[in-house]
Amino acid sequence: MGEIADLSAVPVLAMPAAAERHDFLSWLTTTDHKRIGILYLLTSLAYFGVSGILSLLIRTQLARPNSTFFNAHQYAQLFTLHGTAMIFLFVAPFAFGLANFLSPLQIGAADMAFPRLNATSYWLYLFGGLVIFLGAATSEGAAASGWTAYPPLSEIRVSTGLGQDLWIVGVFLVSVATIVTSINFVTTVFIFRAPGMTMWRIPIFTWEMIATSLLVFMAFPSLAATLLLLFVDRHMGGHAFDPAYGGSPVLWDHLFWFFGHPEVYVMILPYFGVVSEIVPVFSRKPIFGYTGLVLAAFAIAGLSMGVWAHHMFTTGVVNNPFFAFVSLLIAVPTGVKFFNWVATMWSGSISLETPMLFTIGFLLNFLIGGITGVMLASPPIDYQAHDSYFVVAHFHYVLGGGSLFAIFAALFFWWPKMFGVKLDEGLGRWCFGLLFVGFNLTFLPMHFMGVMGMPRRVFTYDAGGPLPMLNLIATCGSYVMFVGVSLFVVNAIISARARIPVGNDPWSANSLEWWTSSPPPEYNFESLPPIRSERPVYDARVARS
Amino acid sequence: MHGNTWPVVGTGQASVMASNWLLFLAVGACVGVIVVVLILFALVRWRRRPGDAEPPQFANNYQLEVAWTVIPLLIVGGLFVATYRAEARIDAVADQPAAIVAVNAYRWGWTFSYRGGPTVGGASNGPASLGVKQQMAELVLPLGETTRIELSSTDVVHGFWIPDFLFKRDAIPGQTTVFDVSPTKLGTFEGRCSSFCGLQHESMLFRVRVVTPSAFAAWEKSQT
Repeated sequence: MGEIADLSAVPVLAMPAAAERHDFLSWLTTTDHKRIGILYLLTSLAYFGVSGILSLLIRTQLARPNSTFFNAHQYAQLFTLHGTAMIFLFVAPFAFGLANFLSPLQIGAADMAFPRLNATSYWLYLFGGLVIFLGAATSEGAAASGWTAYPPLSEIRVSTGLGQDLWIVGVFLVSVATIVTSINFVTTVFIFRAPGMTMWRIPIFTWEMIATSLLVFMAFPSLAATLLLLFVDRHMGGHAFDPAYGGSPVLWDHLFWFFGHPEVYVMILPYFGVVSEIVPVFSRKPIFGYTGLVLAAFAIAGLSMGVWAHHMFTTGVVNNPFFAFVSLLIAVPTGVKFFNWVATMWSGSISLETPMLFTIGFLLNFLIGGITGVMLASPPIDYQAHDSYFVVAHFHYVLGGGSLFAIFAALFFWWPKMFGVKLDEGLGRWCFGLLFVGFNLTFLPMHFMGVMGMPRRVFTYDAGGPLPMLNLIATCGSYVMFVGVSLFVVNAIISARARIPVGNDPWSANSLEWWTSSPPPEYNFESLPPIRSERPVYDARVARS
Repeated sequence: MHGNTWPVVGTGQASVMASNWLLFLAVGACVGVIVVVLILFALVRWRRRPGDAEPPQFANNYQLEVAWTVIPLLIVGGLFVATYRAEARIDAVADQPAAIVAVNAYRWGWTFSYRGGPTVGGASNGPASLGVKQQMAELVLPLGETTRIELSSTDVVHGFWIPDFLFKRDAIPGQTTVFDVSPTKLGTFEGRCSSFCGLQHESMLFRVRVVTPSAFAAWEKSQT
């Protein structure tokens, strides 16, 4: 092993860097992938904060039956903005922010392939989000037809306000940003890998982001085109979705969900990657079934292009059995991933620091979301559950219990690498505990509400029966979650003030980002270790000892 | 009126759906429990203790990996066959239904036109907070007989949902979709719009009254 140690410190070709600037203008004009990544992450967290407040307002309205805290129109804006922001401005962009920061480091590159394009997509994303929220300042308020904006409801003769137009423009800008950044990402990974970093040595997170980016190529153009069609319908006399002139509302369903279901996997595959990075580190073992995990990611991505009409089981105009079958099949590669993670922990040496706690939370919550997902793949179950709170519970278990918990795991895990300081463990545990309890209190009762006949997107409901009690429990849970998220903000501020420095590799981790300093220099690496497996930093550690 | 609580499973189609629910729930619960037990067992059994040596660095077991691909494949294959059969029974449409009702949804009410019979309808009271006072539409169905519903909408997409029948279908403008309901329980059940359709979406309610065939005939006569 001594020979390998001698090979370490292979010099990397990097431009000699000018002194790093840290003023405001340098952040505004930066093309450094790490800074753009951090801008992406902080912006998406800001949108998460706003969208989270909206969800608290939603839960406050629903805490009691026949509530008049908000009226129906205000409530419709709340759930439209909440869904739009969480999906388009938080869960997916956070993943691209993380990939922006991490993936060039994980493959030993100095930057992304197209740094200026990278900056462009960030600014498109930021302003796209602001345009969506700008609707709230117009006379008729923000968009109020849900994040799915089904026509004819979203057509000009029903939704007359400017808010709906701003929604179309904003989501369009974000979709362009997402397409551009995924092109940049795939190019980077395909051509910028360091010597020795073969495709089968790429860390799983970066693999998952390749699969995610390919999904974006295929799905997001459909979204962009659909939004344009709706805009043409609204302002240029188009009739794409108007049955009176030969159009069809079902066309929207097809085009929108052709994007919309792959989008679900755009919002979860990156977080499968996060989990696949964290479990081995805190189990002190290599990831189990590396090849299987990569193949499963592509199987999920491929299958997810053929399941869109399971959102349309109750329309009565699609081939339900076909889409049921493909939807059920997705459970198989997802199960493979689950078993791989459990096998990685198996006979390991498991320590439960905050990133691992959130990862366990992800596994337990996502399991429930996955099981209800298999149930919803059955059309006769959809006949009751579709558009009900059962579906609301399901997708929150996937995106809230799944993606959100992985996001917190990622924040706690990579925070030291991004900012050079570690978040406080004690506060981190409280943050996890409150979020886990609060999350399940909020969303577990919603399964029952749905089966009992409570539709989603209602601004109030009648007294009597079990619904008021179930709703009250859910509202209390959402407030507990709010305290948990606030603790994270407190933690970030305290750790920034304390400035306790961390070394290059505080977790004894595996992939290349832990080789360089925390935070990394502008050019990323002074040197690289030899890359002989998917865990070069582990190999170097073994060689040294 | 029965609603907003555990559903009563009030039609022949609903019984098929209820068994399908239970099957998926049972299989899902079994898989879920197994996985949770595995995770918790691993966490307890292999929790790191000070001075622990590095654990064994295995990373593959092809037999195991093939097994946990093939077994789930067989499970979802079985679930698909079951759900395919269930759906075929639920979606089947009788040649000679006892009654045919054209249901039309609009913002924010319902019209029920019985073929060769009356047309009834109305918008609902809605929650007290809205203060809208109109007559709620009532769909009358004969017990033990099959009624064919022809569903459409005049303005935006609505959803025709009777939670106690475990069934809903989207009402889409420009499109008519057809399904059967065969009530097996007498009573009055709540029906509602399931697809967000604007400001009074939550108050777009209707009433389903299941009566004996003779009472149904008498009701039809009284309305025309």
